[in-house]
Amino acid sequence: MSFLDFFTDPVLRGPTWGTLLMCISSSLMGVVLFFKKRILLGESLSHATYPGVVAGVSFFAFFFPAHEEWTFVAVLGGAFISSLLGLKAIEWMEQKGKVRSDAALCFVLAVFFGIGTVGASAMQLAIPVWYQQVQILLFGQAATMSDSHIILYAVLSSAVVLFITCSFRPLQALLFDRDFAKSAGIPVLFLEKMVFWLLLFSIVLGIRSVGVVLMSGMVIAPVIAARQFTHQLRMVFFLSACFGALSGLLGNILSVIGSSYFSFQETLTLPTGPMIILVSASFALFSLLFAPHRGWIFRLSRMVFFRLRCLQENILKALWRNGSLSFLDLRKAHAISSFSFRLALFGLSQEGWIEKKGGLFSLTKDGIQKAESVVRLHRLWELYLARALGFEGDRIHRNAEEMEHILTPELERQLTVLLANPTADPHNQPIPQKERGL
Amino acid sequence: MDYALEAKDLNINYEETTVLWDVTFQVPSGVMIGVLGPNGAGKSTLLKAALGLIKPLSGKISVLGRSFHEVRKKVAYVPQRKSIDWDFPITAEEAVLMGRYGRLGFLGRIRKADREAAELALDLVGMTSFAKRQISQLSGGQQQRLFLARALLQNPDVFLLDEPFTGVDLATEKAIMTLLRNQRAMGKTILIVHHDLPTVEEYFDWALLLNIRLIDCGPVSQVFHRQNLMNAFGKGQVLFSEAVDLSAKKMSGLL
Repeated sequence: MSFLDFFTDPVLRGPTWGTLLMCISSSLMGVVLFFKKRILLGESLSHATYPGVVAGVSFFAFFFPAHEEWTFVAVLGGAFISSLLGLKAIEWMEQKGKVRSDAALCFVLAVFFGIGTVGASAMQLAIPVWYQQVQILLFGQAATMSDSHIILYAVLSSAVVLFITCSFRPLQALLFDRDFAKSAGIPVLFLEKMVFWLLLFSIVLGIRSVGVVLMSGMVIAPVIAARQFTHQLRMVFFLSACFGALSGLLGNILSVIGSSYFSFQETLTLPTGPMIILVSASFALFSLLFAPHRGWIFRLSRMVFFRLRCLQENILKALWRNGSLSFLDLRKAHAISSFSFRLALFGLSQEGWIEKKGGLFSLTKDGIQKAESVVRLHRLWELYLARALGFEGDRIHRNAEEMEHILTPELERQLTVLLANPTADPHNQPIPQKERGL
Repeated sequence: MDYALEAKDLNINYEETTVLWDVTFQVPSGVMIGVLGPNGAGKSTLLKAALGLIKPLSGKISVLGRSFHEVRKKVAYVPQRKSIDWDFPITAEEAVLMGRYGRLGFLGRIRKADREAAELALDLVGMTSFAKRQISQLSGGQQQRLFLARALLQNPDVFLLDEPFTGVDLATEKAIMTLLRNQRAMGKTILIVHHDLPTVEEYFDWALLLNIRLIDCGPVSQVFHRQNLMNAFGKGQVLFSEAVDLSAKKMSGLL
């Protein structure tokens, strides 16, 4: 079994192409929901399909028991109708009932899924053979998908891609600033209708491959992963589709390979739906942790560097005030681990701000300049607090201790103008001036 | 003559919007008018009603003598800065270009002319060097100037601005005012929801005082006096707002 077989083999290609295309459409719709701040809608709508699926299959079981091969029509129709009912119930509760949005979403999810579960357990006793049909939709059964599914999902994902490319700019305006978009004459209501129809189709058709319970994962996870990597809406769409497609593909391959690997144990299989969701969730988790700029690791390291910089600036101030100090004297004023303290001092001398002579640390010429600029920010801010905001007493100093590390050159310029280039702070200490010879 | 903005027996009284009660006024073209009133007086609601974003319960509000939908290409709206998610992935340049999206339609292409106009608008508000920046990296004043550039790009006859000076430093506020005065000199009407009373006489030639009901509307010299301000901001209003609030609940069947 080679990699290419997954795309060409008559048995394998159905699940591969099917899930891949399905994931593209749901992950693209996820982007729209994400920026509309309605990402949980996918969760509610997919669960709301369940009673429809149960009703549809039961309907078929009772009236057309001889035409089992056509059950999917009933499944899709039922799922569609009950999901639409769920959507309307949510809208109604939010708009007329003044129910909070998250409460309405959860309520619909729980009630619809509950009704579906009750119906399913009734089926289990009455028509056990048909119950299987419902059961596979709970977690999906991609492995049995055929060429007709490929066509179905190809049509769906092309429709989604076409909609997003054709209406990209209006959609962007709508997601960014709805009131403005409406006032500028962008057909906001039409766009929103299209979004909800496409979302509904993506979900209803998608439950065949990943199931009612897991469907929302394919809406949510890819966009979360994509958002971490880019600052462009276009790229968010593109990356989300890539992550979605890749999850579909990898999940599918892992499921097939894994299941055959574990085949010596007959009870153990790796079902496709859950594998797809696990892959896409791993993408999301990985991105949240390691994505450049927005990822957790980067934010953590930025925090650490900022702390270190604060410590260094405080050391510079201490040296500026006291001339030269020994390591122990410097260390006394700061309740911080010896390691970070040594690191801070090492950094300072590496960058040429301080020097060590005979066990004493002192500022270099450039270091004096640097320390003065910190002191300047501190005293400017104190003056601003006292003069412009009417702060008094100890609070002035404490607040300035923090802000001296934060103020940007731009803010410093504005402060200077606002306070008319002052020369003394509220405690009557001189404010070092910015322009001095090197 | 058509008024720039005209409300007739305007009542807004439902759902989550602030109530407006029997508001009637006319604003002529070519003035700079400040809409003043305390929090919850319905200033933003009035703007949204003029833009057709909120449907009035009764009465009507018209722009340039017509309903908003007929003249919307002549109107630019600047929403409150805090109503926007500034983490949205978009650059300053793209956000400004949205001023042209109304004419774009589906499949519409951004023309070279649109791009150059956007550059010019950014230049006018002094934001050229920030064109490629993510909007999340802009300061409050810069974000507000960005919105103004977007409005300029719409080339409107009427500007409706909702609290454009909130979170904006003094220098930016002055710069925005200069820009808007230039627009007024070209005969445009500029309506600003404003909450800084000391600057009213300096900034505006007309004022509209609002607190659920209309207190007064006219040239600043005639409208902006103690009695009117007492009526708009004073405590005498409390009973009235309570009654109106009760009425709103009755209307929506909550009581």
